[in-house]
Parts: sequence; C-alpha cells; structure tokens
Amino acid sequence: MKYSLMLIALINITSYAENVVPATDVAVAYPTMNSLQTIENILERDVNLRISVVGQGVAPINTASPAQAYALAKRAAVADSYRLIAEKVSGVHVEGDDLIKNMMVQRSTVRTAVQAMIKNANIVETTFKDGLCEVEMEIILSHSNFSR
Amino acid sequence: MRSRNGNHPFPLKLFSLIFFSSLVLNASEFLISYRYVVKNSLLYNETLQISKAMTKCSGNAYDGIILESDGKKDLQRVIANNSERFIEYVHLLGLHVNYKDETINYQNSSTTILTLKTTCFKVDFNDNFAKISPLK
Repeated sequence: MKYSLMLIALINITSYAENVVPATDVAVAYPTMNSLQTIENILERDVNLRISVVGQGVAPINTASPAQAYALAKRAAVADSYRLIAEKVSGVHVEGDDLIKNMMVQRSTVRTAVQAMIKNANIVETTFKDGLCEVEMEIILSHSNFSR
Repeated sequence: MRSRNGNHPFPLKLFSLIFFSSLVLNASEFLISYRYVVKNSLLYNETLQISKAMTKCSGNAYDGIILESDGKKDLQRVIANNSERFIEYVHLLGLHVNYKDETINYQNSSTTILTLKTTCFKVDFNDNFAKISPLK
C-alpha cells in the first residue's frame, strides 16, 4: 500500500513538472532586450529631435499694473510649457478611481503626475492677449545629450 | 614657542589657520535655490534663496552668466537688479518639474512646481560686472 501511494505521488509530481513552464520560457514571453532597444532607439546619431509645446498661463485679477500681470502670466505659462515637455519626454503617471454605489457613480477621480528634469529649453514666442499668456517653447534632443 | 610634537612652529600654524579661514570667509561662493509654484494656471508663489556658502564648495565652474554690478559686491542686489536675465539663465541650467493634477467629478485642479535645487555658484566681482557660474 505504502509503495503504491508513493508511486502515485511520484507520477503526479512528474506530470506537474511537465506542465510547469521553465523560467527561461516565461522570460521569452516578455520583450527581449533587443526589442526594447529598437523601441528606445528614437534618437539616432546626427539626427536631432525637436519637441515644441505651447504653454498657457493666466494673469491674476488683482495686479498692480498690466506689466505685472504680463510677468506673472508668463511665469505660469513657462511652467505649463515645462510640464508639457516633461509629459512628452518622460511620460505621465495616471491613476483613476471610480466609486460606484447602487449602480450609480458617486465619485470619479483621475490623478495625473509628472516628474522630470528639463534643461536647455528655449522660448520661441510669447503672446499675451485678454489676460492669457501663451508661451511657445522648444527643446532639441540629440544623441550626444544622453551618450555621456 | 613650539607645538606639542615639536616639529611645526606654532606661529606658522596660527598664521596658516588665519589665512585659510580668511580665504574661506572671503570666498565668493554662494548657494542659490529657486522654486516657483503655479496652481491652476496662476502663479502662486516664487522664491529665490541666496546665501553665502559657509563651507568650501567642490567642482568646476561652467556656463557662467555676466551681470552688471555697477561696482557693488552684494550678490542679492546684483541679482535683484537683473532678475529677469538671471531667472532666464536659471531656467537654462535646468529645473526639476513636479506636476500633479486631480480631477474629481469632472472638476480639475493642478499644481506645477519648478525647482532649482540648492546649487553652489562661484561669483567673481569685477569693477562693473559679476560673473556667476555654477559649480559641478
């Protein structure tokens, strides 16, 4: 009896081992390093990538002068431009929550976050009209920036 | 008068101590940080902190900016007189972008924070100009 039980157990273990995919096979299912490299090789040598954005900023209502309103709106627009560049270069973290109760949406929340370090971005054009400031900003990415 | 180990004369040690400490105190190295917050497309807060470095900074100067100083040796005043140019220059040095956005029941609010982390700058005051260069 003991030997028959042991034999059944042994057969079960070997059949289970046949079904389990080896760790190396699992790794193949994900993108390999080569395919990742081909995706990330956007920046080629001697080819520059230009990213252009238009940021918007609003002047506060209670300002001492139109010049102050312009200066403050421009600051806000520059920050918006930086954020837009960061979104394009490094991506956005998005998180969403929906609370549904009795088949009705009680609360819907979407949170987005961006974190990046932006260097050598240039302002191309600034316009200010009706309290809205628009800043066109561009950044030129080259292979040499990242190959240090 | 001799020092305890008897090898180095005490006045020489004292002189070198005074000399090097005076060098540190007169070193034109400043710590500068800059941060501004934009909430819902409106400028909320902006701070530019300037203080003299209390310890010697390490690194080499690069990408400096020359500002008119009119003979003044007060960096805060020099920067205040050329604030727009200096802030544009700080932008070119590189700012950390931290952006958070929240939409609750289709009502949106956002906060963008741009920061220049505390950086040591070497400042050379000439007759009418001040050269400000970050150290790296």
